[in-house]
Amino acid sequence: MKIDKKTIPTPFSYLDKQFSAIDLYLDDIKKLVLSGDFTLGKELEKFEESFAKISKVNYAIGVASGTEAITLSLKSLGVGHGDEVITTPTTFVSTVGAIVATGAKPVFVDSEDGFVIDPSKIETVITNKTKAIVPVHYTGNVADMPAIMSIANSYKLPVIEDSAQAIGASLNNKPVGSWGSTGCFSFHPLKNLNVWGDAGMIITNSEEIANKLKILRNNGLINRDEVDIYGHNSRLDTLQAVIGNRLIKTMPAITQSRIENAMKYDSAFLKLKLPIIPPTRRKGVKHVYHLYMLRCEKRDELLEYLNDNQIEAKIHYPIPMHLQKASYYLGYKEGDFPKSEADSKCIITLPAHQHLNDDQIEYTIQTIEDFYCK
Amino acid sequence: MIKHIRKIPYVDIGLQHRAISKELLSEIEKVINHGQFVLGKEVELFEKKLADLCGVKFSVGVNSGTDALILALQVLGIGHGDEVITAPNSFVSTASAIKLSGAIPRFVDVDNSYNIDPSQIEKQITNKTKAIIPVHLTGRPADMFPIIELSKKYNISVIEDAAQAIMGKYHNKPVGSIGDIGCFSFHPLKTLNACGDAGAITTNNKLIYEKLLVLRNLGLKNRSNCEYWSMNSRLDSIQASILNVKINFIEEWTSARRKNADIYNKSFSDMNEITLPSENDRNYSVYHTYVIQVEKRDELKEYLNTNGIGTAIHYPVPIHLQSVANDLGYNKGSFPKAEKQSKNIISLPIYPELKDDDLKYIIQTIKRFYQKNENR
Repeated sequence: MKIDKKTIPTPFSYLDKQFSAIDLYLDDIKKLVLSGDFTLGKELEKFEESFAKISKVNYAIGVASGTEAITLSLKSLGVGHGDEVITTPTTFVSTVGAIVATGAKPVFVDSEDGFVIDPSKIETVITNKTKAIVPVHYTGNVADMPAIMSIANSYKLPVIEDSAQAIGASLNNKPVGSWGSTGCFSFHPLKNLNVWGDAGMIITNSEEIANKLKILRNNGLINRDEVDIYGHNSRLDTLQAVIGNRLIKTMPAITQSRIENAMKYDSAFLKLKLPIIPPTRRKGVKHVYHLYMLRCEKRDELLEYLNDNQIEAKIHYPIPMHLQKASYYLGYKEGDFPKSEADSKCIITLPAHQHLNDDQIEYTIQTIEDFYCK
Repeated sequence: MIKHIRKIPYVDIGLQHRAISKELLSEIEKVINHGQFVLGKEVELFEKKLADLCGVKFSVGVNSGTDALILALQVLGIGHGDEVITAPNSFVSTASAIKLSGAIPRFVDVDNSYNIDPSQIEKQITNKTKAIIPVHLTGRPADMFPIIELSKKYNISVIEDAAQAIMGKYHNKPVGSIGDIGCFSFHPLKTLNACGDAGAITTNNKLIYEKLLVLRNLGLKNRSNCEYWSMNSRLDSIQASILNVKINFIEEWTSARRKNADIYNKSFSDMNEITLPSENDRNYSVYHTYVIQVEKRDELKEYLNTNGIGTAIHYPVPIHLQSVANDLGYNKGSFPKAEKQSKNIISLPIYPELKDDDLKYIIQTIKRFYQKNENR
């Protein structure tokens, strides 16, 4: 049903807005195309250096995608067939796909109020087969890293931070990805820092892990002729690094604008006292709002109402990982992770990206208010 | 006086791009304008063009030739505990893909064509064997009929590693259309090349095709439902747009490579020091690499290098002798042909942009090397 006021289209996707200065990018691409420096080229090295710097770590290794970043991280730590890796069912499928790709078995732990893994439940699932913990900084929030690191350290387990949605986020001023053994990032076109195709990055402070990852992403080659490990072909395209080198400069502004948009929503919803409630914002967390996600009543009806009024709200995602068909063999059932399951039925994501204007945000809030008051 | 040395690099991708950069950039710009960077319409168009070129019903664009092999094994359900037969002289990714799927590579020696020797395959087949991966190395199709026959007899699959062989034909059948699945690479150094990593899979089997569409995209059947845990391995729309331009040139470029090979073959035909790549009527080779076996290989390579001519060795260490393969239980002498070839082979520049003068200079320099040696 449409409402009786001026409709302001409020899209979720914004990539068409990125290209006001397209000629600059095309000039860069042209130079690269003529040089032929496509595989592990100079522009990639530059991008890796910049990314390591903003993440306050020693090493950054460009790979083919955020998914591959997790797979290769696990492999660099020796995780493989028969091992168990702990993560949460409140995530995108790639976290789990990446674990399974190593031959390991994903073991789930329920999430908490902020849509991130609940540290108090991790210890109960640790077995002698557990080889790593993969917390997900879901939506751009930051998991409780001090608690997770303390458990990991007492069991001598490495931590791999799935930071795909959390570029620029930090906890107590320590950037995501720099807490664990490695941090994994995605530059998929919809991410806060994106390139124009699939691409990912792994960060680490360990020279040993960095060196191993450089071999793992490049077919296991230690030089042109010698193979040390069975590797992947998982390189971040130099052509995409060219785009990354331009867009990385805009990242602080993008992050700031997303945070401001989220704060506008937050204060409006807290004031209006509607049955749509943002999660508690933890102290010390710099949340970057890749997804502005909150809980609401009558979710499906609200979603339809917003979409009818040209507000592109979405659900991330309606089915938790343990209830996916792909998970049948793991033996989980409905009820195993009550928080994750309940959330999957009441979460909604509103557009919060950097290209939204105040009118669109105001229109979205107004439309939600209309929905609940009608 | 400084002697002027002519420079002929082993490869120069820039040469190819200087000629077509305008077209490439205009196609890239189109992708940027619509913003569908992931599985955009350019990918679908390329898949259609590739399927037509290979004479198959379906093709699926993926992130690399290595991923094509991994996904091919995955879609056939091959994994932990299974065995897959291939050749030990390929690029390492053929064996890596098998290992990464959880299966074990079983090698079979090659013959004079640098491809798997079909007469030696049968004795390696066990009840664990699930597939044979013949590699069309250098761009020359492997001897497929006996391999297909074995696959039928033992009910195992055939995956063609056609990474180096697009446009190659075996008894007039394009590579990638002969086995159950064909795997291609469009790495920047391939004859059909993207400006980054890219690959594709070909098949005539609709079930395999439909499953591959899901497997390359994280196992997602749609936005919310995950059928299988799987990798993220999509051909970028931008790379597809580049390939859509270049695929129009592939026939021309392949002819140029074959012409260059022909010039080499004729010029070296009277030289005892050189073993030429075998040509025969049943095969149409595309010369991704022009590989000859020579006497005094390392000295020749050095001599060519000091005379400004770049060459390469594909590959100096067979996979079974790599440190990574220690656990497979092979050793020196396991595959005498592949081992001997690895010591004598050298790849000469063969790219379409080579000028007649360049070829003449390369040929003369090689002849001069052996004449010098004779007079010593």
